[in-house]
Amino acid sequence: MVYVAVFLASFSSLAFEVLLARIFAVSQWHHLAFMVISLALFGFAASGVLLSFLDAWKKGWEAHLSGRRPLTLSLGLYSISALSAFIILNRLPLDYFRLPLAPIQALYLLTAYLVLSIPFLVAGGVISLAYAARVERTGWVYFATMSGSAVGAMVPGLFLPLFGEGKLLVFVCLAPLAVLPFYGKTRFRVLGAAVFASLIALAAALPVDHPLIAVRPSPYKALSQTLKFPDTRITGTTSSLRGRIDRVESPYIRYAPGLSLRYTRPMPRQTALFTDGDNRLVLYDVDAPADLDFARFTLSYAAYRLLPEPDRVLALLAGGGAAIPCALASGAAAVSVVHSHPAVAAMLKDHYGLPTTAAAHREYLASSRERFSIIHLENWGASLTGSDALQQDYDFTVDAFGAYLDHLTDDGVLIMSRRLLLPPSDALRLWASAFEGLRNQGVAEPRRHIAMLRNWDTITLIVSASPLGAASGAAPNGNPLMDWAREMNFDAVYLSDMTPETANRFNQFDKPFHYREIQALAAAYAAGTEADFFDGYPLDAAPQSDRRPFPGRILKRSELETLYKSMGSRMYAMLMSGEVVVGVVFVEALAVALLLLAAPVWVVFRKGEGGSVSGVFYFLSVGAGFMFGEMYFIKAYALLWGHPLISFAGVIGALLIFSALGGALSQRMGREAIPRILLLLLGFFALTVWGLNGLIHGMLGWSAGARYVVGAALLLPVGLLLGIPFSLGMRLLLASPRQRTYAWAANGCASVLAAILSEQAAVAFGIPAILGCAMAGYAAAWAMAALCRTDPALSP
Amino acid sequence: MRSKPRMVGFFLLILVLTAPVGFPEGARNFQKERHQMVGVQIEARGVDDPEVLSAMRSTPRHQFVPDAIRDQAYSDHPLPIGEGQTISQPYIVALMTEKLNLSKESKVLEIGTGSGYQAAVLAGVADSVYSIEIKKALHEKATQDLRKAGYGSVNTRHGDGYFGWPEAAPFDAILITAAVDHIPPPLLGQLKDGGRLILPLGNPFSYQNLVLATKKGDNYTVQQITGVLFVPMTGEALER
Repeated sequence: MVYVAVFLASFSSLAFEVLLARIFAVSQWHHLAFMVISLALFGFAASGVLLSFLDAWKKGWEAHLSGRRPLTLSLGLYSISALSAFIILNRLPLDYFRLPLAPIQALYLLTAYLVLSIPFLVAGGVISLAYAARVERTGWVYFATMSGSAVGAMVPGLFLPLFGEGKLLVFVCLAPLAVLPFYGKTRFRVLGAAVFASLIALAAALPVDHPLIAVRPSPYKALSQTLKFPDTRITGTTSSLRGRIDRVESPYIRYAPGLSLRYTRPMPRQTALFTDGDNRLVLYDVDAPADLDFARFTLSYAAYRLLPEPDRVLALLAGGGAAIPCALASGAAAVSVVHSHPAVAAMLKDHYGLPTTAAAHREYLASSRERFSIIHLENWGASLTGSDALQQDYDFTVDAFGAYLDHLTDDGVLIMSRRLLLPPSDALRLWASAFEGLRNQGVAEPRRHIAMLRNWDTITLIVSASPLGAASGAAPNGNPLMDWAREMNFDAVYLSDMTPETANRFNQFDKPFHYREIQALAAAYAAGTEADFFDGYPLDAAPQSDRRPFPGRILKRSELETLYKSMGSRMYAMLMSGEVVVGVVFVEALAVALLLLAAPVWVVFRKGEGGSVSGVFYFLSVGAGFMFGEMYFIKAYALLWGHPLISFAGVIGALLIFSALGGALSQRMGREAIPRILLLLLGFFALTVWGLNGLIHGMLGWSAGARYVVGAALLLPVGLLLGIPFSLGMRLLLASPRQRTYAWAANGCASVLAAILSEQAAVAFGIPAILGCAMAGYAAAWAMAALCRTDPALSP
Repeated sequence: MRSKPRMVGFFLLILVLTAPVGFPEGARNFQKERHQMVGVQIEARGVDDPEVLSAMRSTPRHQFVPDAIRDQAYSDHPLPIGEGQTISQPYIVALMTEKLNLSKESKVLEIGTGSGYQAAVLAGVADSVYSIEIKKALHEKATQDLRKAGYGSVNTRHGDGYFGWPEAAPFDAILITAAVDHIPPPLLGQLKDGGRLILPLGNPFSYQNLVLATKKGDNYTVQQITGVLFVPMTGEALER
């Protein structure tokens, strides 16, 4: 019964966590989800602390509580608390942005923390209890935990399309009650079976849009704002790990960023697709050629002025949607479309009848040998600036520019548009990334291949495979791009031969800020002082590689105070930034961790029953090392497997299965294996730092199946090794139930803190920095293991 | 232990001390608050057009906000008015009005009547004001409130502001009170030569830039005026 209970609690709590992340992604923002879920996970650690107190109060509790009835009751309590937490959270009028303005919001936030931590507390209690009760079988307890968690990580991916977020969460919460028909006397078994079957039937009958379980997007998101229009409705919803897609029909959807004010005719009718309630992609009805006219007046059409009637166009879409009308309006001979979400790709294909591929952009480019006259990337990012600072995106790295340039014909053009931000930040990064991408290709004068134009709210980067002067041909002033920009009332930001008066002619700022900064940047590159430029710039605008792919990250910690003052010293504005939220969460988490670990110290160590300090630090180090290692692979595999959440579920699933096997193997090992395994892990991590990035890039062009299988297989050795130190330490380095429950708490606290630090390390220093932290964690564990006393009675 | 009568007396005293003093709520004219608003929130931030300041001093903002939050009508932030809409911060109303460079003879079109307050302020500066609201409930309420407050000359219409008001075009000025990603082409077509169009740019709940477009023959110039930061409203408020 103990192992089954541990398996079910682990399965359900991990699936619950993954689904909460999905629900928050829709109802709030990614970084705010991170804020609540991270702290709720302290419930695991708190369970160890509570059981430590229990041990001080009552001896033999572990034997009593590991009986069938208490375990069944615990699983029931878990199900009730998890379901209640979801329902309360779904109805809580929690509004993060009002936190600094309305004190009641702090109470709501505290409520969210508390109600969400209870199911994790109960699940953690079941697992912690198992370690305390099955001292001689910690490897098998570990196996049950990890295999349950692995299944829990994979279930949402498989069943989300069938049930949607809310309904699947109900099933997941009820899953541990599957034990009811198997324990107790016959009449209780029959009753248990009836209760379980009734609850499942009730959940199955619940409509996905029932107010109790329907997940509504944040009122700040584009979908909520669109739904406020009359005669506007959602006509279809598809859920998956890659995101929830809502299809919205409305006579009032009119989306055309970058549209020239010279355009005076009507817009075609549009349908919008929203991913997670935001990131709008629009499908334009094209019933007649005139419906495409508007596209010729958008800033992105600049590429088609350079290459009229192009042979082949590749539209890489991650939002927007105007790229397709642009390509169609130009009279392109062939247009190919790529979108990473299979459901969106299917809708695009159905709507336009163009060849459409469902793949991540980098994955598509790596697998294709075709060359295109125009590559049009449309990726506008989140509607709230800063909210996507933690999100990995491989569309804008220097490596991505290399991939785009590899797929351009000799006179081909790459084009991408973004929101115009002030002060200039991502415009500088885009320009620099294009420059370095061209330079890496061996282009002698990269600056002659780059142009940048803007209107009043968007900016467009144009990168040409051949020098732009040569492409421009004959025109009244020698540059058709400038003539067209003037005709459309657009301004130039960068052209190698532009004059300053064209920089602030139609769309006037107090000063031509973007032009000035990019001129200064170009001059820095010419002088070889670009590093100094980026150091001195108040925002983080340096180009990023695939090792640090966070295009939304623009804050510099050293400039936070200046930024805070520039936003009117209003704290809520800072909460829009993912990075600031991570900092706040870390401080909160550190306080909670210290409280949890300090509270039982007096009780644990009072009667001389406590373990050594080195033992506690061993489990802190192992907990941190494991989480850093896991987070590294989750982030590194986002490129390989095409989406951060696919990577999250896949890496956790594979790594935990292999760790489970490692835990089982540890049953055959003795004390002497601990330092050896830790050294092997350190060696393996060193090998990973050296070779994994190249390996992933080498595999990018493979079929999806091959990438999934080989990627998972690569996790086998590290997973096995990761599974051993904890279970072996639990069995051989600790001597009493109280020590084990406290070690469980220490391990849980370290895991939460490491997960938060991983986010900060990745955005600030790059993904490999996380692995550096993992190595530090395991090196510390190695040192602590050497200092720990061994209990000879516990050796195999 | 305190006696019961003493406790009752204590609570009565608290009730007396905290009860509103002076005019009944409906009869208050908030003149003092309005003058204070203009001085502290508007003039101090650089709005100096006498006509605009006069309109801001005379327009009873409290008559355009829901009763429940009437006390906050002259505070330095926007307020929810229902249907997911807000009444803008007083400073933004004044700034947008000033930037339109209106005279008594101007004909001005507002897209998004909302509470009707902005239209009332415009009517204090220009004689000919047209306002369109897409939400019927808001349109009806605003039309009624405008009449009650003595602004019956404002022409209101329930409809899609994207297409403007062709029968009344051309306009000297157009004001869009909702954030958009592009300026509706039909509105530009209804602007006189030299006419001005102002709108907030950005997410309605975060940073916005005020943008002023001016028609010059067949060309347009767009001027970025200032960054504004709107205080967000709760989801609860949005659903009222």
